Amino acid sequence: MSREAWRVAEEIRAGADPSRHVEEVLERIERWEGAVKAFISLDLPEALRERAERLERKIRKGERVGKLAGLLVSVKDNICTSWLPTTAGSRMLEGYVSPYNATAVERVLQEDAIIVGKTNLDEFAMGSTTELSAFWPTRNPWDLERVPGGSSGGSAASLAYGGADLSLGSDTGGSARLPAAYTATVGLKPTYGLVSRYGLIPYGNSLEQISPMARSVRDVALLLEVIGGWDPKDATALRVERPRLDPSPAEPRALRLCLVKEMVEGAEEPIEKLFWNTIHKLSSEGAQLEELSIPLLSKALPAYYTIAFAEASSNLARYAGIFYPTKGSSGSWEKYVGEARARGFGREVKRRILMGVYALSEGFRDEFYVAATKVRRAIRDEVLKVVKRCVIAAQASPILPPKIGERLDDPLKLYYMDMYTVIANLAGVPALVQPLGFSQGLPIGIQWMAGPLEESKLISLGLLVEELTGIKGAMAE
Amino acid sequence: MKAMIGLEIHVQMTEAGSKLFCDCKANYRGMEPNSNICPVCIGLPGALPVVNKRSVELALAASLAFNCHVPDYIVFTRKHYFYPDLPKNYQISMYERAGGVPICRGGKVRYLDIHSWEWKECRLRRINIEEDPGRTIYGEGGILRSSEAYVDYNRSGVPLLEIITEPDLKSAREARQLVEYVLLVLEYLGATNPRLEGAFRVDANVSVEGGERVEVKNIGSTLDVEKAINFEIMRQSAIISSGGKVERETRHWDAERGSTRPLRQKEQEEDYLYFPDPDLPAIALRDMLPKAKAIASSSDPAALFEKAISLGVQRELAWSMVTARPSLMLYLEAVERGADPQLAARIIAVDYKGELREREKDPHDPANWPSADTIVELSRLMKEGAYTYDAIKGIVLPKLAENPAADLKLLLPQRAENLEQVIEEVLKREERAVKDYLSGKAQALNYLVGAVIRAAGKRALDPRAIREAIERRLAKK
Repeated sequence: MSREAWRVAEEIRAGADPSRHVEEVLERIERWEGAVKAFISLDLPEALRERAERLERKIRKGERVGKLAGLLVSVKDNICTSWLPTTAGSRMLEGYVSPYNATAVERVLQEDAIIVGKTNLDEFAMGSTTELSAFWPTRNPWDLERVPGGSSGGSAASLAYGGADLSLGSDTGGSARLPAAYTATVGLKPTYGLVSRYGLIPYGNSLEQISPMARSVRDVALLLEVIGGWDPKDATALRVERPRLDPSPAEPRALRLCLVKEMVEGAEEPIEKLFWNTIHKLSSEGAQLEELSIPLLSKALPAYYTIAFAEASSNLARYAGIFYPTKGSSGSWEKYVGEARARGFGREVKRRILMGVYALSEGFRDEFYVAATKVRRAIRDEVLKVVKRCVIAAQASPILPPKIGERLDDPLKLYYMDMYTVIANLAGVPALVQPLGFSQGLPIGIQWMAGPLEESKLISLGLLVEELTGIKGAMAE
Repeated sequence: MKAMIGLEIHVQMTEAGSKLFCDCKANYRGMEPNSNICPVCIGLPGALPVVNKRSVELALAASLAFNCHVPDYIVFTRKHYFYPDLPKNYQISMYERAGGVPICRGGKVRYLDIHSWEWKECRLRRINIEEDPGRTIYGEGGILRSSEAYVDYNRSGVPLLEIITEPDLKSAREARQLVEYVLLVLEYLGATNPRLEGAFRVDANVSVEGGERVEVKNIGSTLDVEKAINFEIMRQSAIISSGGKVERETRHWDAERGSTRPLRQKEQEEDYLYFPDPDLPAIALRDMLPKAKAIASSSDPAALFEKAISLGVQRELAWSMVTARPSLMLYLEAVERGADPQLAARIIAVDYKGELREREKDPHDPANWPSADTIVELSRLMKEGAYTYDAIKGIVLPKLAENPAADLKLLLPQRAENLEQVIEEVLKREERAVKDYLSGKAQALNYLVGAVIRAAGKRALDPRAIREAIERRLAKK
């Protein structure tokens, strides 16, 4: 069961029984899900078994079998599926079933994966702990008292306990990478536009990407190869072929790593220690290091949140009690809409809508929204300059996974958890988080950032680091 | 009292094929309610807009036709307001600030005042491309009193041009003529069919000397443009003359009652929270320019009008043809193929058009017009003296209007020379009548004409020609 997913798929393609693998995963779910609550909806075991049987018949007949043959994929519940509800973790959409599949879901299905269920998230992906789900908090399989990070916490947790081989998360400001760091899994935020957003319920459209998550670097690469590449349904999708990623580790001597002060400093001590150990190991293997500072990055967090809230306030305007499950009750239109929105949205979502509307309103727009987009452009330019000559090595999170409830009272403390991850979203560049090790049983991750469409650089560096740390395919027991 | 009038003309690009951001149809007439919809145009979560290039091309051609300053690229903006027929609660539109870039800024329309036959000018402030909302149908009592409303989203997402003029218009008649001319240009470009129900709507900003500006919404026909503005000028003038004050407000044109009434008073500037739509990257216009230029220059009604005039056609006839595009196109083609410009104009603009009117056939439908070859042939026959204009008008045109595709040979009265043999036979057979005629009995000639017509069978004949032929024949005796 600790085999990497790409190997499982290869075995199945070579004739291994996909039903047996489904049983393996179902057993893990049976054992863990009650405590962790990673899923908002799970497909029926019979349905999963039936899909495995159908795949087996296909293999026996000698038909073409996809790259994800028989792999169980969990899908964050803000990514649309036509046969399971898509709630985005909100009461507003409780019971909502989309009439169509997201492009990423279609592509995963075309490659013969089996979608196991829809994973929990902070409401509309707004949060960093998955505690802000309207339904329940998801727990971290490595320590059930702690959060799995967010907002793709359900996806990360499902991987960490073995409830899925691969997962589709989404990453607006670190939502796939922070949970990866907290659960010893791998999350890759692709170059903006590499993966179609068609079917991703938007939070911050200009920042986010559907993001592959898995327990190993090679598995993340496999999933990205399937979901990446141009989609005519997304005008922001780049006109590029599906990526092909070479699964061989980087040569340390050919590596140039940039350590940007603002993305390295400020983390808790055990995190800093493990980070520098890794960097020094790579350096002693021949990697060149360069230290530098981008002072502008101190403005990254406010710029990020201003843009994300502004876009969110607009995206969420459509939830007005007409098309979606949560309704109002008054006869007057204004009151009706107000009631539906008061009932359907949670506190943090309302907070972000209010702040977003404020940032866009006449008289404040220049001071907030427009100013934030200017800061964003400047940050992007600085980051692009740096990633031209090196891969940026950065922290993934300033803190170890917090305890459930610990951060809920203070939104600023919550936003601060994203300080290292929002930069890749502002700049539109790819970033990978992978595990480095553990401190008192709690996972610690590291983050790598490369230039636009340089995912292959991140993958080969990640493979090298896996060799160095020996951490690959880790699962909580 | 002196009036200042500015217009906002919303014209659907009914001929663009598909909606602005999806594949649903741009012309929804005759469809069951809510049958011309998809996830994109009803704004379902995760669905993304992808711009229909044809709409942009047509809008660009319109901008060129109206002498606009055209930018290098356009940026769509979200305009937010809550309304039941606006499924996302924002409209994808354009705005000249906050990062938006409309397709036209600062243009001018030269339009023809057909009362004075003068070309007049009205400056344009802006042209926006935007999506039409759905349609709300109110129960009894209408928008102001009904307790229920039904929403049909077939219209939602249809491409609209929003054409905003400067307040250059001085009378209701000028306003009407401007609107008619703008619609004519857009029809010639192939962007719209202004005769379709609901294809355009006009809002008029009207002020008289000494008063504030009043906006009149919901004007749905060019006749109503004139009526509504006249009503408003009278209403405002009466207030001012009696010492009152005209406040700034928005009023609703009630076409049935022929009056305006207040919609909302003490209007404060609404805050639409404009910002560039992050789902739609800027669209460069450079690649579309050649095609748009070609459309604009080949379909300018003013140039075509001048061309007809230069062929010696009276301006009234020329304009009559311009206002029914298929007739003008037929005329120009016929003349190019050798038809006499005067005869062709008289047939097309006066008599054939009259026949169509009598039969209540639509002169805007090309299928109701004969081919250019038919016009060329008729012109030739008259020129050669084979038929008089009256013969063609009286015998051929009515039948042609009945069936424009009919074979001209079967419609033409039999020419005299072809009749000679028939006449010869009849004269031989009707010896007695011939004798009577020669001895001075005038009625005998009528009898002979009738006998020739009967003998000629079903062919269409001009009795006067037969009479002349018989007279000629018997005079020789």
